[in-house]
Amino acid sequence: MLGDGALYGVLAEYDTPGELIEAARKVRDAGYTEFDCFSPFPVHGIDEAMGIKRTILPLLIFGGGFAGLLGGILLQWWTNAYNWPWNIAGKPEWSIPANVPIAFETTILLSVLTAFFGMWMLNKLPQVWHPFFRLERFGRVTDDAFLLGIEARDRRFDSVATTQLLKDAGAIAVENCHLDPDPASRTMPGWITAFIVSSTAFALIPFAIAAKARNSHSSEPHIHVFPDMDFQPKYKADAASDLFPDGRANRGQLAETVARGSLNADDTFYRGIEGGKWTEGFPKQLEISEQLVRRGQIRYNIYCAPCHGYDGRGSGPVPQRVAAGGGAWDARNLVQAGGPVVKMPNGQLFNTISNGYNTMMGYAHQIPPADRWAIVLYTRALQRSQNAAVDDVPQEELGRMPMPQMQTPAAPAGAGSAAPAAPTGSAPAAPATPAPAPAAGSAAQPENK
Amino acid sequence: MSALVKPLHPDEKIKAGKLGSSLTKAGVGIAVIFMIISIVLGSMQGDNWKRFFYSYVIGWSYIFSICVGVLFLVMLHHLVRGRWATAVRRIAEAMSSAFPLVFIAGLGFVIPLVLGYKDLYYWAHPDAHDPVLNHHLHHKLTWLSPGFFAVRYVIYGVAFSGLAIYFTKKSREQDETGDPKLSEQMRIASAPAMILYSLVVFMAAFDILMSMAPKWYSTIYGVNFWGSACVGAFAALALIVLGIQRTGRLTHSINAEHYHDIGKWMFAFTFFWAYTAFSQFMLQWYGNMPEETVWYKYRLFGEWQWVSIAMLVGFWAFPFVFLLSRWTKRIVPSLVFFAVWQLVFHWLDLYWNVMPQYDWQVVTNGTASVNAGPLMGNTALHHVGFSPVDITVWIALVGVLLAGIGRNLKGNLIPVKDPTLPLSLAHENL
Repeated sequence: MLGDGALYGVLAEYDTPGELIEAARKVRDAGYTEFDCFSPFPVHGIDEAMGIKRTILPLLIFGGGFAGLLGGILLQWWTNAYNWPWNIAGKPEWSIPANVPIAFETTILLSVLTAFFGMWMLNKLPQVWHPFFRLERFGRVTDDAFLLGIEARDRRFDSVATTQLLKDAGAIAVENCHLDPDPASRTMPGWITAFIVSSTAFALIPFAIAAKARNSHSSEPHIHVFPDMDFQPKYKADAASDLFPDGRANRGQLAETVARGSLNADDTFYRGIEGGKWTEGFPKQLEISEQLVRRGQIRYNIYCAPCHGYDGRGSGPVPQRVAAGGGAWDARNLVQAGGPVVKMPNGQLFNTISNGYNTMMGYAHQIPPADRWAIVLYTRALQRSQNAAVDDVPQEELGRMPMPQMQTPAAPAGAGSAAPAAPTGSAPAAPATPAPAPAAGSAAQPENK
Repeated sequence: MSALVKPLHPDEKIKAGKLGSSLTKAGVGIAVIFMIISIVLGSMQGDNWKRFFYSYVIGWSYIFSICVGVLFLVMLHHLVRGRWATAVRRIAEAMSSAFPLVFIAGLGFVIPLVLGYKDLYYWAHPDAHDPVLNHHLHHKLTWLSPGFFAVRYVIYGVAFSGLAIYFTKKSREQDETGDPKLSEQMRIASAPAMILYSLVVFMAAFDILMSMAPKWYSTIYGVNFWGSACVGAFAALALIVLGIQRTGRLTHSINAEHYHDIGKWMFAFTFFWAYTAFSQFMLQWYGNMPEETVWYKYRLFGEWQWVSIAMLVGFWAFPFVFLLSRWTKRIVPSLVFFAVWQLVFHWLDLYWNVMPQYDWQVVTNGTASVNAGPLMGNTALHHVGFSPVDITVWIALVGVLLAGIGRNLKGNLIPVKDPTLPLSLAHENL
């Protein structure tokens, strides 16, 4: 026997699991409560023989799983529907089917963690120090020994009678176990405590760094955890490079070459120039049709109308917004009879759309050439319609138009006086609409019609 | 309670005696009476027997699935050298040996199909061949043709019956000789048998059930069917084992431990079914592609949504929560309750898989009117349309299953010389 501390208990060894079960039953029947059985593997029926109540672990696991289920759903509701609503594939922000896989995983996660740690807790583990560890025999409990230990604190414990009971139950050996005389050995060894404390502290370092970073300012550059991802051996556009004599990473277009799809040799179609001058007509590859006018209308309403207005008079939403802010600015009136835009050759209008004019940006990057030509065509149609005379309306349509001012003899005179003065000022163009002169109308016709 | 092995109780009644023949008689009686009622009811439907045949496919899939599930138990326990089930394995073998009779019963819808009946499977309808209306079905019709279908049906029948008979025969042979090498042989055979089995289960589910909606497809469909099948099979096994015990047989050998394990399997497959059913649903719901979601459209809207909700609650949520506890599986009346419950919902599962395809839509294509098949048109026009024939055909086919089981309940009801039997008899759940 080791040492000579107080008696902790007795430990008996049995030959087979069956004998261990029988012995456990006898010990239980004798009224002992402070005893335990030790075996290398789970022995069926031992808990019943020892009189152990069923564990409450399943209930704990159920609770853990249920908490995981609710937590998983709450997590997704909070992140996806409440704190930061997020549209995924047009599904509802909080969509139960989408929540199921995550909720399933969190249910299992918490069930398993509860099972694992609940088992440890209910078994009072980890127990790094136990009096039986002092017995050499106990070392075989994970190998081939079936052991039964009774603690001396059991009120029925009697060093002689208890030993006899265990022997009568068929023990092949019974030995006393004494506590270590040194009380220090009954506590957790210092190095384990130190390891737990230091590893816990170490594990908290990343959190501490993150907390500090969230609450302070720094002029230091970022910490690069993956520098080879942050700084990849490649050049971005317009970066410098020592490799080439011109010091640029971009290699410009080589002389005498044209990039695929960038030839754009047709001056009329791509630049609006024909014979060194702005073209008056349209490129021959475009078929002038109602469809093209409608295409132009759609493009015009997207790109041009915000400033020039749907009617082309230069009072679109942007000028209106300027006016609302107390300023005064109108875009160019595209349809003013005799105005610069009406007089412009088609090629120049195309060039203006492509490359801009004064404060207007060029739209060549946003609008393909064919669509720019469609806008030119639609602008011509706008000019025509905004400057139309009564004679332009077909006779059979005229009768059906409810136009009260057509019936008053004063109307032509009023229109004549208003027309030249009207649109350039900041006054809204609306009242002047049905007006101007027949001459302007004919000037605005597209050349090819 | 504590021994690791236990011999067969000397007073145990292990002989089937007249049990098998009386069960066969009862089964045949049920089958004949209810089939006559069904034929009368079916002819009164006035829909060219369509409802009758739809119900027939449901009822047949039901008895087929129960055999599928118990055959899995038999093969799995050979494969993994299982112990607990040895005490109930002979009963499971007898149940799986009903396969030949089940496949003969299935000829009730396969033969009309081959003879040109066109209202059961839309792919057998001439309008399914319309290359414009049914563009993507048109390409499947080589596979989905009545003749080839019948050939595959026979292959499935031979494969399943062969597997069931092989394991039953070897097991009975061991009763005579007590040769432990037979266990070894069955274990070696069970591995390739399991591969064959899984292929045949999935193909049969695709052919017989999934092709009800021939334009729709789901690769997990066979797995899902199999999950449902095993729920039904373990429920049926529990009831049949209990029924045999109530006749005074095997009263010492089979106890709460074995019921507990049958219940565990039922519980596991209840969840497995829900898992695969949800997997199938969620991918199609998320993908949101019309050719896939159409199958769910007619189940999640209109009248069928209530059946879908009943499935979710009745086939999964309720039994799942209550079967979690070990006591609901160990206390026999409680297990019986859940077994009956799951057998009813297993039927509802098959009903839910098949019946929404019952309503076919006739559309006008130019001047001609064309039958566009199932899962078309307004969901509000698709009715659950429950009919008594749905139940009577099912009962008749369950009668066929009982007759098939009864025929094989003969000799020993327990594999008396199986080397693992003493372990099974002493089996105990921790």
